[in-house]
Amino acid sequence: MLRIAKNLYTYRELIAALTWKNIVIRYKQAYLGILWAVLKPIMLMLVFTLVKGFVGIETGGLPYPLITFAALIPWVFFQESVSEGVNSVTSNANLIKKIYFPREVFPLTAMVTKLVELVISFAILAAMMIYYHVMPTLHAVWIPVFVLYTMIAALTISFFGAAMNVYYRDIAQAIPIALSLLMYGSPVIYPLSLVQKKLVIEQAAGAWSNDLYFLYTLNPLVGIIDGFQSVLIRATEPDLNVIYPGLILILVILPFSYWFFKRAESWFADVI
Amino acid sequence: MAIIEVNHLTKEYQLGHLTSLKETALNTMRRLAFQPVHERERFKALDDVNFHINEGEVVGIIGHNGAGKSTLLKHLANISKPTKGSVAVRGSIAPLIEVGAGVNPELTGRENIFLNGAILGIPKKIIQKKLDDIISFSELEQFIDTPVKRYSSGMTVKLGFSIATSLDADILIIDEVLAVGDLAFQRKCFDKMESMIVHQGKTVLLVSHNIRQIERICKRVILMDHGKILSDGNPSKVCGLFYTQSDDKIKTQSGGGNISSRKEQSGEIELISVELTNQQGNIVDKIAYNEDVTFNLKFKINNILEHPNFGFGIHTTDFLYLATEITEEKYKDQILSPGNYTLSIRIPNFPFLPGVFSIRVGVQAGKIARNIFYQENILPFQVKNTTEERTQSMSEGFIHLNGNWNLFHNLGDTQCIGE
Repeated sequence: MLRIAKNLYTYRELIAALTWKNIVIRYKQAYLGILWAVLKPIMLMLVFTLVKGFVGIETGGLPYPLITFAALIPWVFFQESVSEGVNSVTSNANLIKKIYFPREVFPLTAMVTKLVELVISFAILAAMMIYYHVMPTLHAVWIPVFVLYTMIAALTISFFGAAMNVYYRDIAQAIPIALSLLMYGSPVIYPLSLVQKKLVIEQAAGAWSNDLYFLYTLNPLVGIIDGFQSVLIRATEPDLNVIYPGLILILVILPFSYWFFKRAESWFADVI
Repeated sequence: MAIIEVNHLTKEYQLGHLTSLKETALNTMRRLAFQPVHERERFKALDDVNFHINEGEVVGIIGHNGAGKSTLLKHLANISKPTKGSVAVRGSIAPLIEVGAGVNPELTGRENIFLNGAILGIPKKIIQKKLDDIISFSELEQFIDTPVKRYSSGMTVKLGFSIATSLDADILIIDEVLAVGDLAFQRKCFDKMESMIVHQGKTVLLVSHNIRQIERICKRVILMDHGKILSDGNPSKVCGLFYTQSDDKIKTQSGGGNISSRKEQSGEIELISVELTNQQGNIVDKIAYNEDVTFNLKFKINNILEHPNFGFGIHTTDFLYLATEITEEKYKDQILSPGNYTLSIRIPNFPFLPGVFSIRVGVQAGKIARNIFYQENILPFQVKNTTEERTQSMSEGFIHLNGNWNLFHNLGDTQCIGE
């Protein structure tokens, strides 16, 4: 953890330059420019809102588009950071073969690039909140903490995935599938309260209900998304009970993931 | 204290592809059944390489393709890790391993300067300060705000070199970069490198196939072959060894069949064979330096030839024409009827310095001279050293002038003080 932070600082200029390159290149010959970055959560929100019209999802009296968008912001950030991060090493093969610098710069850069897009998404969320007359409260100070948590969760997967992808390109194929499955395992389309109601209150799965619920909360995205919605829209404290299983899991895996990446790093130039 | 220390450096690569799922499963089965598994073949790119380089040394690394030069540089630049042995580098390294590795085609020249600077680890402030120098050195003032994808390849390389040399590193690693750009820019890069070496006392490692350049700037040359250091030391000695090696290789290659040689013939005349004979009249393919030699060209003439004019020339293995002899008027009045002929040319004190050369032959005929036969690279032959001191070296040129030295004191009457 500390090593990552230290590298982030030492190589800040390099990360900044590569991030800027990523953004410039992606949108340079596009008329809409960086707006493309935020089109994805907006489109998803519109689709979900449309679906919700048929299915009917309990939102606790809050506007559904707002709830969904607040969930989509961390989700899209996480998803894009991971998929970019996993590909970041292989897509920079020419640099890896020519110049040495710590290779974790690549997954870090992928994440920082998405951070820029995240900021724009927040601007849109702010506009929506004004439209729906939902004002942020003091609880919004939690947001940076959740963003940091999302970054750590994304990095945990990126480090391992990026290193594995150098050896087995299967990873890059598998990640989009795994991520789209994970979306249904996270409270993006539906609020967490729905799951809690089914499993904790109604004990819908019988004796397994509590175990299943614990398994569900092991997904760090559950805590993150619910946290985002709580502190921004519902104006309440985040529910720490939902957060800690995922957080502990991530904090346990991260050192291993980073260690694996550093060990594999020595052979990147030979194998890539 | 050595700035670069390489001890017993060995690098192995596995040959072939990554094993597939099937192969992995089969190997696991074999392992469980205690049967030998299929291991992929290994290849030693570097084999127990040892050397030390002191601060301020300028070292050239030469060798054939695949000798391990670039692999060695990759280890010095920390890009690859050794299989065995160690590499210790004390100081910052500026890798020029293929200039312009980080140049991105979508960005403009100016943007690329900043990006590459960051990749090479130059702080932004320093780039800002050096920006004008970099741009003016690259000669791209007019195009600096144009995306690099619209540059010519030479322009891209100019940009890359300008950025890389602006870096203040202790050690410069240069891999085949000077083979790019136009002649004027090559000259400029060369001067810049020389000034970096001479005035700033940098340690430089240079890999190139241009042995002439290496001989000129390096104080020490390492010759590599099949992953091993074959020779290490004085540039002219090591380069000489390399030349001998290359010449042998070229001779065996061109002996088999004339690959890239030009051949034109009308059928009126055929060249049957060419023989090279030495002083004693024996047919040879190696001659001693400064020997008297004779070339016998055996022709078969199919049609009557009027006013024949024969040409005979010597060229290097890379087709640099060195000398040509033409019969001109000598057989002009002859009319050659069909049959076999031998044309011989004797060259006393063969004037070429040791190396591999080849010959070309041309024939013209007719009142209005027509080319009826022309062929290059007909007979490769080698000129050997007679003495050890006279090492074979490009820096001496090709030709022995056979001059006489005289030294006079210009005061008073002309008195010879030494000859």
